[in-house]
Amino acid sequence: MSDRPRKTAGAADDPYREADLGRAYDGRLMRRLWGYIRPFRSTFIASLLCLPVTAGLSLLQPYLLKVAIDEYVSVADTRGLLVIAVLYAISMIGEFTFLYLQYYLTMSVAQRSLAALRVDLVSHLQKLPARFFDRNPVGRLVTRLTTDVDVINEMFAAGGLTMLMDAVTLIGIITILLVIDWRLALVTLTVTPVLAIAVNFFRIHARNNYRRIRDRLARLNAYLQEAIAGVSVIQLFAREEQSFARFRELNDHHRAAHHSANIYEAALFSVVEAISSISLALILWYGGGQIIAGTLAFGTLVAFIEYSQRFFIPVRDFSSKYAVMQSAMSAAERVFELLDRSVDIESPPAGKVVDGRGSVEFDGVWFAYNRDQPVLRDVSFKVEPGEKVALVGHTGSGKTTVIKLLNRSYDVDRGRVLVDGVDVRDWDLAALRRRIGVVLQDVFLFSGTILDNLTLGRDDVGRDAAIAAAEAVHADVFVKRLPGGYDELVRERGNNLSVGQRQLLSFARALAYDPRILVLDEATSSVDMESELLIQDAVERLMAERTALVVAHRLSTIERADRILVMHGGEIRESGPHAELLAKEGLYYRLYRLQFAGTQGARETTAAGAE
Amino acid sequence: MYRLWGYVRHYWPRYAFGGLCLVVTASLAMAVPYLLKRAIDAIEAGMPFRQVAIFAFSIAGIAVVQAVVRTFSRALIFNVGRDVECDLRNELFAHLETLPVSYYQNQQTGDLMSRLINDVTAIRMLLGIGFLNLLNTPIYYAYGLTIMLALNVPLTFAALAPFPILLFVVKRVSRRMMEQTLRVQEELSNISSLVQENVAGIHVVRAYQAEQVAVDRFARRNQILTDETLELARVRGQLGPIMRTASGLGVLVVLSLGGSQVIRGAMSIGDLVAFIGYLNLLAWPTMAMGWMLSIVQRGRAAMLRLEQIFAVVPEIRDEEGVRPAPALRGGIEYRNVSFSYPDATAPVLDGISFRIEAGQKLAIVGRTGAGKSTLVNLLPRAFDVTGGEILVDGRDIRTLPLHQLRSAIGFVPQDPFLFSTRVDDNIAFALDGNGNSAGRDAAVRRAAIAAGVDEDVSGFRNGYETVIGERGVTLSGGQKQRLTLARALAATPQILVLDDALSSVDTRTERAILSHLSESLEGRSSIFIAHRLSTVMDADLILVLEDGRIVERGDHAALVESGGFYAQLFREQQLEEEIETA
Repeated sequence: MSDRPRKTAGAADDPYREADLGRAYDGRLMRRLWGYIRPFRSTFIASLLCLPVTAGLSLLQPYLLKVAIDEYVSVADTRGLLVIAVLYAISMIGEFTFLYLQYYLTMSVAQRSLAALRVDLVSHLQKLPARFFDRNPVGRLVTRLTTDVDVINEMFAAGGLTMLMDAVTLIGIITILLVIDWRLALVTLTVTPVLAIAVNFFRIHARNNYRRIRDRLARLNAYLQEAIAGVSVIQLFAREEQSFARFRELNDHHRAAHHSANIYEAALFSVVEAISSISLALILWYGGGQIIAGTLAFGTLVAFIEYSQRFFIPVRDFSSKYAVMQSAMSAAERVFELLDRSVDIESPPAGKVVDGRGSVEFDGVWFAYNRDQPVLRDVSFKVEPGEKVALVGHTGSGKTTVIKLLNRSYDVDRGRVLVDGVDVRDWDLAALRRRIGVVLQDVFLFSGTILDNLTLGRDDVGRDAAIAAAEAVHADVFVKRLPGGYDELVRERGNNLSVGQRQLLSFARALAYDPRILVLDEATSSVDMESELLIQDAVERLMAERTALVVAHRLSTIERADRILVMHGGEIRESGPHAELLAKEGLYYRLYRLQFAGTQGARETTAAGAE
Repeated sequence: MYRLWGYVRHYWPRYAFGGLCLVVTASLAMAVPYLLKRAIDAIEAGMPFRQVAIFAFSIAGIAVVQAVVRTFSRALIFNVGRDVECDLRNELFAHLETLPVSYYQNQQTGDLMSRLINDVTAIRMLLGIGFLNLLNTPIYYAYGLTIMLALNVPLTFAALAPFPILLFVVKRVSRRMMEQTLRVQEELSNISSLVQENVAGIHVVRAYQAEQVAVDRFARRNQILTDETLELARVRGQLGPIMRTASGLGVLVVLSLGGSQVIRGAMSIGDLVAFIGYLNLLAWPTMAMGWMLSIVQRGRAAMLRLEQIFAVVPEIRDEEGVRPAPALRGGIEYRNVSFSYPDATAPVLDGISFRIEAGQKLAIVGRTGAGKSTLVNLLPRAFDVTGGEILVDGRDIRTLPLHQLRSAIGFVPQDPFLFSTRVDDNIAFALDGNGNSAGRDAAVRRAAIAAGVDEDVSGFRNGYETVIGERGVTLSGGQKQRLTLARALAATPQILVLDDALSSVDTRTERAILSHLSESLEGRSSIFIAHRLSTVMDADLILVLEDGRIVERGDHAALVESGGFYAQLFREQQLEEEIETA
C-alpha cells in the first residue's frame, strides 16, 4: 500500500472532511477482505448459491401467471389453474426462504470475518511503536475500529452482494422478456437509456451530497460534544450566546445538506416510478395492438407488465447501494492502511534472555524524535545492579527520553543501550520488558476494579500478591476504606480517586510486577501533605533491592539517590552524590535551588507543619 | 406530543402543501391500475386500437404529472422533518447551556449526546417518513378498497384477508428491530471506549506485558458485539420476506379464486389484472403501516426523554427584579457564607466572611479538600451559596444579571479546559468578536505575553493559528494552564480568579508570570489559590482555610507574627533557604 500515493494525505489537517470517494470496487482491497472471509468460505459460497435460486424463483412467478392465463384460464381448465397456483405458492415460499437464508448467511460471514478483522487491528495496535501514537490521535484510531469496520459491514448488509443479486435479476428479466417476445421486449426496453442517464445523474449528486452530509454531521457532533464537556467554561465567561450562535450555524449547514439531498432523492424516486409507468404504457400500447392483431397472447402481456415492474425496484436502489460500496471501499482502504503500518520495534528472531542482576548502561546514545533535533547527544552512563540513580534536569533536557529508550518504547539512533550487558535490541522483547517496571508521571487507570488495575489482568500476579504489594506502598489504607475494597470499580480514568491515591496504586502495580529494574518518572503535580509523606515512603520501598532509575522531582528522592545525573540540552553535564554536587555549586546547585527549593521545599515544609 | 406541534406549526404551510401533493400523488397512483383494467377490457372486447392507445397515453401522461407532484410531496415533507430536527436541537442546546454545573455532575456526556442525536432522529423519522405513511395508507386504502369492492366483493375480502396478520407481524418485527438496533449501538459504544482506553494506556499495557490480556479482553467484548449484530441481522432479515409475503399471498388468492371466476365468465381478465395491480399497490402501505406504528412508539418515547431535559429548571438564573449595576469595580465581600452539596451531611464551607476592596489581592492557602475551590466557584455562581450572601460592590450577586457578573470575572479553573479551535480563538474566547480584528489580535497577543505563553505559541508551526487538540498541537499541562490564564486576561476583567492555576508551571516561569501580572492587575481585584508561598506573600489579605472554615487571616506580616499554621509554613521555608545558602 505504501507504494501508492495516499489519496487522503490532506485529511490530517481536517479529520471531518470525508476522504474523496473513489471507486465502488477495488480488486486489491477485495482480495484482502477475502482473506478474512476465507475461513468461512463454505458458508459464504452457500450464501452466494442462494442468490440465483432466489432470483430464479422470483422470476418464475410472472411466468406462471402467463401460463395460467394463456394455457388454463383461456381454455377454462380449472384443475390446471390450481396446479399453477400451487406452483406459485411453492415458488413464493422458496423465494422467501432462500432470501432469508442468503441474508442471514451473508451477515454471519460478514460479522465473523469483521470480528476477526477488529481483533487483528487491536492486536496490531499493541505492537505499533510509540512514535505512531505520538502522531495519531486516539479518536482517529477508534474510528478505524468502529465506524470504518461498520461501514464495511454495510457493504454486506445493504450493498455489494445485493447489487450482485440485482444484476442477476436484471439480466434474468431482460433474457426472459427477449425469449417470450423479442419485439415487445425491445419496445419495453426503449426506456432503459433514459433510465440509465437519470440514475447516473442522481448517482453523482447523491455521492456529493452523501459526502457533504457526513462532513457536516461530524462537525456538528464534535462541536456538540465539546460544548457539553466545556459547558462550565462557556458559562464562566458568559459566552452562551456566542456558543449557541456557532452551534446554530453548524446545525443549519447540516440541515441544508439534508434538504438538498432530500430533493434529489425525492426526484430520483419519482423519476424512476414515472419511467416504470411509462414502460407500462408502452407495453399496453404496443402489446395491445399485437393482441388485437392476434399476434400476442393475453398472458404474455400480463407477464410483461409484472416483469417490467420488478425491473425498476433494483434500479431505484442502485444509487444508494453504489454510495454504500464507495464508502466501504474507502473505509477498507483506511483500515488496511492501519494494518499495514510497520511495527518497527520487534523482538529479534532469536532474542536473548539473560538472567543478570540488573545493570543498565548507555553507551554513546544519540536520539531524536524529529530528525535534526537531537534530544539526546552522546549520552553515556552506567548503573550498577542495585544502584539508585536520579536524573535531574530542566524541562526538555532529555530525562524522560532516557527512560523511554530503556524498554524500547523507542530505539536509539546511534550508540547502544545495554541491560545486563546485552544490547536491548538483541534482547527478547518480552523478557526485557519483564525485567523493567515502569511508573510514569500520569498514572493511567483502566476501567475495572482496583484489583484489575494492580494485576492488569495478568494471571501470573495473584490476588494475594497484588494486595501485599498494595500494603507495602500504603495503598491498602485508602483501598480498604472504599465501599468495595479491592473490588471497587474505578470510574472513568480514576475520577473517584485523588491524585495521590492514583500514584500509590501505580506504585503497587509496579511492585506486584516485581521487576529487577525500576524506572520511575515522578509526578510534578502537587498533592496534599499526608499523601506526600506516604508517597515518599512508598518510593523508598519500591526502590529497595532493585536497580532504580528515577526522573526525580522530590527532594527526598534525590537525597536518597546513590548518584545524581544532571542533564542539560540532551547531555549529561554533572554526575555524583547530592552533597558533592551541591558543594560544587555548578549546574546542579542552580537547578536544585530553582526546582527543589522553590516548589518542593514549600511542600516538604507544609508536610512537616502538618505533623 | 403536544409540544411537537409547536415545532411543526412554523412550517405548517409547507407541511400542508406536502400533504396535499401526497394526496394527489396517491390519487394518480391509484388511477393507473384502473386505466390498465380499462385498456385490457378494451383489448378483450376487441375495441379499436385507438381506444387502447388513449389509455396507454393517459398512463404515460399521469406518470409525468405524478413524477413532479411526488417529488414535491416527498421533498416538502421530509424537509419539514429536518427543519423540526434542526429547531429541536437548537432549543435543546440553548437549554443545556443554561443548566448549572451541578446538573452535569450527574449526567454523562455520552447520554446527553445520545439524546441530542438518536432521540432527535427518532422524532424526525416520525415527522418525515412516519407522517408520509400515516397519510398515504388511508388514502391508498380508501381508493383501493372502493375500486376493488366495485370490481368484485368476495375476491376483495379473500385477497385482503392476510393483511391484518401481516400488519401485526410487521409491527412486532420492526419494534424488535429497533430495540435490537439500540442494543447494537450500545455495544458499539462499549467497544469504542474499550479501544479508546487501550490506546490511551498503551504505554502501561506494554510496560507490564499485558498486550495479550488486552487483546483477549477486547475479543470478548467483540464477541458480544458480533452476537448482537447477528441477532439484529436475524430480525432485520425477516422484514423483507414478510413484506413480500403480503403481495405474494394476495396474488396467489387472486390467481386461484379470480382465475376460476374468469373461467366461469364471472370476471374479465382486465379485472383480474387490475386486482393484481391494486394488491401490489396496497402491499407497501400495509407494510409501512406496521413499521410506522413502531416509529410512532419510538418517537413518543424519544419526545418523553427530551421533555425530561426541557423540564429541568436551571437553578442558577436571573431572578425577577434583577437589574444591572452601572459598572462593577470589583469590591468583594463574603458574609457568613456556607455551602453544602445537596445530599452531603457536612458543609463544604461554613461561616466564611471576609472583604476586599476593589483593586486588592486576596490569597487563599490550605490543604487539598479544605474548600478553597468551592469558595471561589461561588463567586461567578457556578453554585449558589446555601447560607449567607456574597456581595460585589455592595450588591448581592444574585441581584446582578448573571451575564454582567460573569463578564466581570476572569476565571482560571483548576482543570485547564481548552476548545479544539485555534489558539487565538481560545484566548479571544471572552472577547466580543465584532471588534476590529487588529484590535483583537493585539489583545490576544498582550494576554499571551502576560500569561507567559507567547514564546511557546510563536514556536508552533502555525503560531496563533495553530489548532489545539487532536486535530493539531498537543499541549503540555503547563502550556494549557498558561493559555487558560491568557484567556481570562484577554477580556481585561475587573476580577481575576486563579484556582491553583499555575501548578504545572515551573517555578521560574511562574515568577515571570507573576511579575507580569502585577503590572496588568493594576486597579483590578484578584483572588489566588496557590501552593507556593511566593505567590501569596504580597496579597492584601491572606486566608488560611481548614475544613471549610477560615482559621487564620491577615496580611503576610501579620500572619507570620501570629505564629500559626501560616507562620510555621513560612519559617520552614526560610530555614530551607538558609540551609541552601549556607
